[in-house]
Amino acid sequence: MIRDIITYAVNNLRNRKMRSWLTVLSILIGIAAIFTLVSFGQGLSSYVNGLASKMGTDKIIALSSKSLTSGINEELFFTQDEVNLLGKVKGVAELSPNYLKGVQVTKDKKVVYSFGIGMSTGKDRRLVEEVFTVDIIRGRALKTGDRNKVVLGYNYLVPDKIFKKPVKVGDKLDINGRLFEVVGFFDELGNPSDDRNVYFTYAGFESLFPDLKDRYYQIIMRSSADTVPATVAARAKEKLRKYRGLKEGEENFDIQTFEQALQTFTSIITVINSILLLIALVSLIIAGVNIMNTMYTAVLERTKEIGIMKAVGAQNKDILVIVVVESSLLGVIGGIIGVMLGWGISSLGGKIAAGAGYALLSPVFPLWLILGCIFFGGGIGALAGYFPARSASRLRPVDSLRYE
Amino acid sequence: MSKTNKDILIRLQNVWKTYTMGANKVHALRNMNFEAKRGEFVAIMGPSGSGKSTMVNLVGCLDIPTKGEIFLKHQNIAHLSESKLAQIRGQTIGFIFQQFNLIPTISALENVMLPMTFQNMVRSEREKRAAKLLDLVGLGDRLHHRPTELSGGQQQRVAIARSLSNDPELILADEPTGNLDSKTGVNVMSFLEKLNREQGKTIVMVTHDEKLSHIAERVAHLMDGQIINETRPTAKERRQSFLHSGLAPKESSISKKS
Ligand SMILES: Nc1ncnc2c1ncn2[C@@H]1O[C@H](COP(=O)(O)OP(=O)(O)OP(=O)(O)O)[C@@H](O)[C@H]1O
Ligand SMILES: [Mg+2]
Repeated sequence: MIRDIITYAVNNLRNRKMRSWLTVLSILIGIAAIFTLVSFGQGLSSYVNGLASKMGTDKIIALSSKSLTSGINEELFFTQDEVNLLGKVKGVAELSPNYLKGVQVTKDKKVVYSFGIGMSTGKDRRLVEEVFTVDIIRGRALKTGDRNKVVLGYNYLVPDKIFKKPVKVGDKLDINGRLFEVVGFFDELGNPSDDRNVYFTYAGFESLFPDLKDRYYQIIMRSSADTVPATVAARAKEKLRKYRGLKEGEENFDIQTFEQALQTFTSIITVINSILLLIALVSLIIAGVNIMNTMYTAVLERTKEIGIMKAVGAQNKDILVIVVVESSLLGVIGGIIGVMLGWGISSLGGKIAAGAGYALLSPVFPLWLILGCIFFGGGIGALAGYFPARSASRLRPVDSLRYE
Repeated sequence: MSKTNKDILIRLQNVWKTYTMGANKVHALRNMNFEAKRGEFVAIMGPSGSGKSTMVNLVGCLDIPTKGEIFLKHQNIAHLSESKLAQIRGQTIGFIFQQFNLIPTISALENVMLPMTFQNMVRSEREKRAAKLLDLVGLGDRLHHRPTELSGGQQQRVAIARSLSNDPELILADEPTGNLDSKTGVNVMSFLEKLNREQGKTIVMVTHDEKLSHIAERVAHLMDGQIINETRPTAKERRQSFLHSGLAPKESSISKKS
């Protein structure tokens, strides 16, 4: 029976090809949008989760400005005394402060702007490397005494990315009017602003920016093994707040575990994603109305056919099933094509993002998403078809047989 | 063959069918009484608008009467639910309409299979039976044609095959030859006659053609929603209706089904 119903439904959809396709189009757009958004959202969250597990859950970051997202404010910084204070907080195992300042890099008369980061050359350097989860892929890391030497981000190795010709180990670069020798390169981080950073030793940074000596932008800390990192972060935050004489809630800095920081980041993305999903859902409601309209027309056109089926023994519920199957089929077809289209868009978008250096924007296509989208399409079809189906099933056989 | 009261298949008892059109009331049937025995071939004649289709539709469970009782196989069908009526239509009644009423988007075979589908017969069995029925009406080589690819006479033969698919006891034919030329019409008619004679199907047929009505054992004449008179074609008349067509069955080929 169900096979006959499906065959019959396919026949009917074929017989009004243009209208069927237009209806399918309206639903596939919504499904494609949802598929694309969710595949990127999933990709991002798996990237973030991967990041969190790679750099470990014991890291804490202290930011001199109020939050990760509020940008850089050079009026706000941590002093050496404050760094020492945080180092003595119970549960802080080690810490490593960083300088940060915009720099101007010149090569072959081309000028580019990047961030210069002053980092430790001691054993606490590994804290920075763990957090950013990168290794040196060419040359070597900075050593104490490398006053006129720098390590560069990955993008300097890529032709035409920053400079036409890639920079090599041993090259001399003009940074803010002074020549620095390049000794190594970090591996790719996955976003274009971090991948163009210039890394200095403390001494190198301080010699370039004497005013910024002991004015750190951020401090990366590690909580000791037997503590809860969030508790240590809260404790450190309170200590510094009291040291600065600030009231609770009025801090001009922030101390969070990295997990918390990433959560803030993902929750912003989630909000944006949710808004976009909402728009996609609205488009699907419109698609549902469209299907409903198509099915009402189809049912009206086939009034006589419904009468015939009733005359040969079809019960109301048979007619109901026939119409609902037909509209579900529209939804399922829309779902399948929507998934394929969405897959195409996401893959292309992911490639473009990767090409632009945003490796973190790489979509994933879990099976549940694929099946979910197809079922969702079918569900909308079934729902939208229900009312036309019900009115079709309630037609009186004599009346519908008379219909021309 | 003797037919006693026990063999009554259809009984209409004081049946009224009234349509209300605004302030007007149209009585399509007025206090109609009618009986048909099992195995009988009854023709219904009457002028346009006299209530022939209304009567057949009521007997066929396509509609319910405004007043009165209708018995089909001794079951009162005047007050049944739509799903019960659908079951009776599917199992007990085969319809043949003037406009053929085939579903245009599916093949002849699938059209014949349709009534069996709604009785949940398994597909292979349905297919086999539908092919056999189409073969019986002489369309064994047209199984996969769609109705639009068939002539009027062929379409009506598909409809006859369809009416037989659930092996119903009663066949209701509302002007089955109304859309056919006279030769094709007679052809279809002789097929119905054969069904009645060889398979013992009860047939109630509406027709406008006096000559064709003589195929039936009994003719009910309708006027203004009432049966005004019933006649039985004489042996001569019956013979002539076939002579008229030039399709007279040879006496030897008539084999009564025991
Ligand atoms: N749905 C309806 N609404 C209103 N009046 C109707 C309806 N169906 C039938 N009638 C009326 O009932 C009367 C009988 O109609 P019916 O169709 O039974 O006639 P008929 O004998 O079959 O005529 P014909 O030979 O033209 O087919 C007619 O006057 C018709 O106008
Ligand atoms: Mg009529």
